[in-house]
Amino acid sequence: MIPTNEQISDLIREDSVHKSVYTDPVLFQLEMERIYGHAWIYVGHESQVKNPGDYHTTRIGDQDVVMVRAPNGQVNVHYNRCPHKGAKLVADGDGNVGKFFRCPYHAWTFKLDGSHLSAPLKSGFEGTCYDPKHPDFSMVSVARVDSYRGFVFASQASYGEDLKTFLGGVVTSIDNMCDRSPVGELEVAGGIFRVQQRSNWKVFYENLHDTMHARVTHESSVDAAREEAEAIGEMPFELLIMDGNGEPYDFWEKLELRAYHNGHGYMEAIFDPGAAERDEVSRAHFECLSEAYGADRARDIMGMNRHNTVIYGSGSPHTVFMQFRVIRPVSVDKTMVEIQTFRCKGAPDVVFDRALTYANVINSPSSNVMPDDVEVYARCQEGNMTRGGSWISMHRYVGTDKVLEDGAVSTNGTSELPMRNQFAAWKKFMTGTIIAKESNNVA
Amino acid sequence: MLLDRSFNVKTDDLTATIVDEETLRSIERFIFKEARLLDSWKFWEWDKLFTDDGMYWVPQKHNQVNPFDHISLFWENRMLRETRIRRVENARNWSQQPQTQTAHLVGNVCIEGLDADDFLVVSASFQATEWRLDQRQLAGRYTYKLIGNKVDGWKIKLKRVDLVNCNDVFANLEVFV
Repeated sequence: MIPTNEQISDLIREDSVHKSVYTDPVLFQLEMERIYGHAWIYVGHESQVKNPGDYHTTRIGDQDVVMVRAPNGQVNVHYNRCPHKGAKLVADGDGNVGKFFRCPYHAWTFKLDGSHLSAPLKSGFEGTCYDPKHPDFSMVSVARVDSYRGFVFASQASYGEDLKTFLGGVVTSIDNMCDRSPVGELEVAGGIFRVQQRSNWKVFYENLHDTMHARVTHESSVDAAREEAEAIGEMPFELLIMDGNGEPYDFWEKLELRAYHNGHGYMEAIFDPGAAERDEVSRAHFECLSEAYGADRARDIMGMNRHNTVIYGSGSPHTVFMQFRVIRPVSVDKTMVEIQTFRCKGAPDVVFDRALTYANVINSPSSNVMPDDVEVYARCQEGNMTRGGSWISMHRYVGTDKVLEDGAVSTNGTSELPMRNQFAAWKKFMTGTIIAKESNNVA
Repeated sequence: MLLDRSFNVKTDDLTATIVDEETLRSIERFIFKEARLLDSWKFWEWDKLFTDDGMYWVPQKHNQVNPFDHISLFWENRMLRETRIRRVENARNWSQQPQTQTAHLVGNVCIEGLDADDFLVVSASFQATEWRLDQRQLAGRYTYKLIGNKVDGWKIKLKRVDLVNCNDVFANLEVFV
């Protein structure tokens, strides 16, 4: 039974949510239609399909899609399905299809814009309604595809906000990431980790701006990094990035949590004017950016010291260490995270070395930090299957957030504003208020 | 920085070499003991099998050439190995409750040759059953760079672990493979 809008609305209170949003397979299926079926979702980066024919497969919600570079340079996103018998046209992964897609089953072929090219032994179609120009005989493209500074997003709805409006203030995180290249361009490089979580996808989004968990959940890796630093008499980068979670509560309280419409946001550390000169890698990077942009602008770029950014439905870019943790829901209690690492074109090689090291130490399946996160998410998933209570609290600093025209900002860095903001968006998508309003506008 | 490009990770283009039966036996015993230490959670003792600058490497890609321009599942020096050991031994290691249990089976030990720095390159295939909440099977090939001899014993300059599913989706890998 599909719940009514009223029933869905009742699951979200101002300061708490009903646990079924994490555990109910019916709601998960509705999310695939109403959130992932409408919102702009990150598909991949243009650098993953550099040349005509290059493709990259991924999923938008529960839909297998293929991103492909056409001969005219355009990046297209199609459902990975042959209209003949339904076979996935390309195997999961990356590759080059050449000048056209060719189905491995009966050799129907399609241009890179998805349109029908040919089918063998056409005499068999004589007198039938086979029509190569009819859309039934072409690949189906995802309704809307757009990109922002190389980041390709797609929406399965033909109507609604444009990409930039949808992203709102979080475009500044993408801008900052790109600006860290002296030519303003990034490329995905060095491979992609894929890690499985035993929990609902929303738990990870909430955790990204949950400053109260860091020193509790990550105690084992913080202790280990500190003990090791003590033993060897120094704390190099690899240990420093594990140590950070151990900051005392008053450190986290001073951060600023910025929330934007549609569930997005970022965690802003205080502008760090010293960031440009902190260590050898930063100094080399700063020099390179100074040459390109001038010292003042370079200091601004490197001083923008954001921890995680949330692009709701897509994942979380880390602008300083050049990562994008792309979050893909698998089922109501399983989530897959693809970790992309970026090279800043034109920046010194050590900047990429540092990004690669960060990926290896923090985002690899072998990370010393992540397993404790994954474990507590799974414990939420399992705990919420018990009859021991039905509501999940997000009370911290409720009612104190400063409301702005384009969202809100916390008055304390331990506020649960980000969760409240994510669920406000969730409710709008799930009750169709965003969808209905926009489809009416179009009509 | 860990990405020290002067570290020679090459395990091909080797110089052919022949070792005597006793040397081969001592190498096999060394490798079996290494697996035994892992299975019994004697990680500190295991770590001592490495030279001071020895590296533990699990590539993320089939036939990965180096750990410098591509991610690795593990690329760990002594500092990071010790940090991992400290973490899994910490009382508040939520993700190690219950802790990971392993059983390694190692065989097909082959002497591959000598590398450019005269390290003896030895390979072995392995199966490792790992349990924590669920059971999973890890398998692949170990490639070692060893220094030493049958009398004084051996040390590991490099242990490379090529998993058959290195580029797959993974649940966390918390202990050494």
